[in-house]
Amino acid sequence: MNREEIIETLKTIIEPYSEDAAALADIDENTDFIKDLKINSANLVDIVLDVEEKFNIEIDNDSMAKMLTVKATTEIIAQKLEEHAGQ
Amino acid sequence: MLGNDIVDLNLAKIQSNWRRKNYLDKIFTTEEQLLIASANDPDEMVWLLWSMKESAYKIHNRKTGIRDFSPKSLNCAVYKDSLGEVNINNCTYFTKSNIQTTFIHTIAAPVFDKLAAVKVAIYELPDHPDDYKRTQPASVSHHGQYLALVY
Repeated sequence: MNREEIIETLKTIIEPYSEDAAALADIDENTDFIKDLKINSANLVDIVLDVEEKFNIEIDNDSMAKMLTVKATTEIIAQKLEEHAGQ
Repeated sequence: MLGNDIVDLNLAKIQSNWRRKNYLDKIFTTEEQLLIASANDPDEMVWLLWSMKESAYKIHNRKTGIRDFSPKSLNCAVYKDSLGEVNINNCTYFTKSNIQTTFIHTIAAPVFDKLAAVKVAIYELPDHPDDYKRTQPASVSHHGQYLALVY
């Protein structure tokens, strides 16, 4: 799965948790879940759980701590997928 | 420095399903999960602990300049009279919560004695003042119907 594909999948995960349609339409790497998409912090947990399920990876606490932007989240997913592939 | 956090319980009910598999494990320590499991009202305990973590994080974030999503590293202890303590990396923040049927509001301060002097204003929609920023609140929290300001 390449970066673009990860971001596309990530978008479908994020969408239900933001009511800011304009910000959702403008999602790019620099989009911040809380500042730009106005996602409730309790729903960040849902995004992490959805990412785990959808990509079949496990997000540890240190990785979760960084998952505030599309860029950081995409990097973590790519890294975890790579680790998986190497096994 | 002060922190505050309000949870609109009616919105929380539809916005977050904390009974979802692995949800609690991502944000609460083992001790906190025990508090939730043994609480008379587990919903109330979940959002009480959450508002304690959020209000303490708001101070810690400003103090350290570190922005992250690490709720499990904020360790809550709940005392009587809705008082509590949140510990993170050798820093302690003291909390006081106001638990109502429709919302839970928590204030946090780095010094326990400061809590008594905190002034709180809670507004419910549609009565949110447009110009609240002019009043220079020390911390602002929005959720659902509620706007909470502390001074």
